[in-house]
Amino acid sequence: MSVQILDRELERLEALWAEGLSDSYRSYVEVVAGYETEAQPKLALAAALIEVGLRLQGLGGHAAPPPTLLMGDLCLARASRLLADSAGQALQVAFAQAIETVSAAAASGQRSRPVRDLLVHAFAAGR
Amino acid sequence: MISGRLRFDTSHATEFVDLTQRVSDEIEKAGLRTGRIHLQSLHTTLGLAINENEPLLLRDFEHLLERLAPGDAGYEHDDFTRRFEVAVDEPVNGHAHCRQLLLTGFLTLLVEEGRLVMGRWQSVFAVELDGPRHRQLAMQLDGEFSPPHRVGRSAAQSAAGWGDETTQLVEMEITRQLMTDPDPVAVPMRRLMEAGGKRLRPKLVQLTSRIGPRQEPVRAASLAAAVELLHNATLIHDDYVDESTHRRGRPTVAAAEGAERAIAVGDYYFAKATRLIAELGNASVATTMAEALEAICASQIDDVAQRGAFPGDHDSYLRVVRGKTAALFAAACVSGALLSDAPADVVEALRRYGELLGIAFQMADDMVDFSPDSGKPIGLDIRQRALSLPLIYAAEDRSVGKEVRDLLAGSLGDREVDRVADLVTASDALRRVGDEARGLVEEAVREIEAVELDGLRPTLVGLARSAVDRTA
Repeated sequence: MSVQILDRELERLEALWAEGLSDSYRSYVEVVAGYETEAQPKLALAAALIEVGLRLQGLGGHAAPPPTLLMGDLCLARASRLLADSAGQALQVAFAQAIETVSAAAASGQRSRPVRDLLVHAFAAGR
Repeated sequence: MISGRLRFDTSHATEFVDLTQRVSDEIEKAGLRTGRIHLQSLHTTLGLAINENEPLLLRDFEHLLERLAPGDAGYEHDDFTRRFEVAVDEPVNGHAHCRQLLLTGFLTLLVEEGRLVMGRWQSVFAVELDGPRHRQLAMQLDGEFSPPHRVGRSAAQSAAGWGDETTQLVEMEITRQLMTDPDPVAVPMRRLMEAGGKRLRPKLVQLTSRIGPRQEPVRAASLAAAVELLHNATLIHDDYVDESTHRRGRPTVAAAEGAERAIAVGDYYFAKATRLIAELGNASVATTMAEALEAICASQIDDVAQRGAFPGDHDSYLRVVRGKTAALFAAACVSGALLSDAPADVVEALRRYGELLGIAFQMADDMVDFSPDSGKPIGLDIRQRALSLPLIYAAEDRSVGKEVRDLLAGSLGDREVDRVADLVTASDALRRVGDEARGLVEEAVREIEAVELDGLRPTLVGLARSAVDRTA
């Protein structure tokens, strides 16, 4: 799976690649193996962007300062576009539900399952 | 009575297009049980006919038309030197007009028990005489309808009533969605949405969803509600970023509930809106909305980054506003049209209309900051160092520009904010912004002049003009 394919998808987010996005991306590479080969890099990147984006925002913890929050927002938006481009309806819905779960828990002051667990589950549900 | 348009493309100079199934589908979609469907050609070189769909017979018809009105017979209509107001792309088609005279331009077909009344060998044809072209028929269905379809109304009817029933449908959908959400996210969002808002974006979705042949009010309401939720989700994060304490006369979510809650509520409704859009099952709509969201987020970053060079310049203003405001206006127009299967040229015209309207809307919004009738404290944008075209123009103004720039470069207390507001009002800045916004609206109106909007043009024009002629 070539990371070069993803270059154009990392516009404005290049700095995040070295700051954990690449690790997160790699952790999803195996998870997306059951999906169409062409879609796999984008799906793995979408999941990584959601994970990193929510972390940047400080969701469930201390609120990020505004510029960092906006970077987190861009990660979520980019992930949403990648999913719209490459994922079927079921996977798009499953990913959205995962974010709804963690953000509802954060708003309630409750702990939720780790984002990665939810996204891995979403990949299984969206297949 | 239900009305609409039947659109199709032809691919040959002369062509018999069998519309029987399309007409049957329209009857079923409308729920017409007993009555009539009227079809009328909207072209002078497109006829209608009922006959047998047998390929050799269709060739016989073509030969007959050729014998009766030969293509090379020489027609006075084709002598452009003797005609007035000849378009540059005027075709040589005297023969096609004469052939159309031999056919009919309208048909009334009977419907019984929900089905078209047709003989065994009969088919309904549109007869292309000067193709290939994009064509359309006006269509009206009247009679007794099945109860579930009575809510389905014509585009023109809907245009007239978008301010009442259709708006209520969206409000009901928003209320329904908020009722299903957990209180920690639903309560702050409900408070924000109940405080007002113009609901322009959902109106655009609903209007444009009436343009194409596939009109589904419930799905359109779902999309419109999702767009409004998405818009409000972005506002919740914006208010935290801008350190705004009030919106629509009420404390912002960040001010009332804290930044952590505001981030969570924004994320929840970002995700929920995305899910509602995905659940519509229209990939083009999902991509359109996702691209708009990406543009919004990217331009928010640019907006904050530019605050070091406050108040900025016209070009950077436009760059940010295109993403921050216009992208969602354009996406609302496009996604509604896509949902209704509107033709590509209409979708593209609406995209340009939406983008221009969005920019003009933002300019008008900037002017409201200096309006004593707005119900809001004057100079909020100055205090927050927010992007504002009146401020940009005032800073460029020959007479007040230097003082404006000096004041904006320093700390902005009440006295300084009041003084800047006075200088902006005294300068030519507000007039320039108003002129520019109205100019953009007229440009937006021109964008939709050349496409078929099924009677909705006056509503879209009125909506665009009212979006900039406001004080609040």
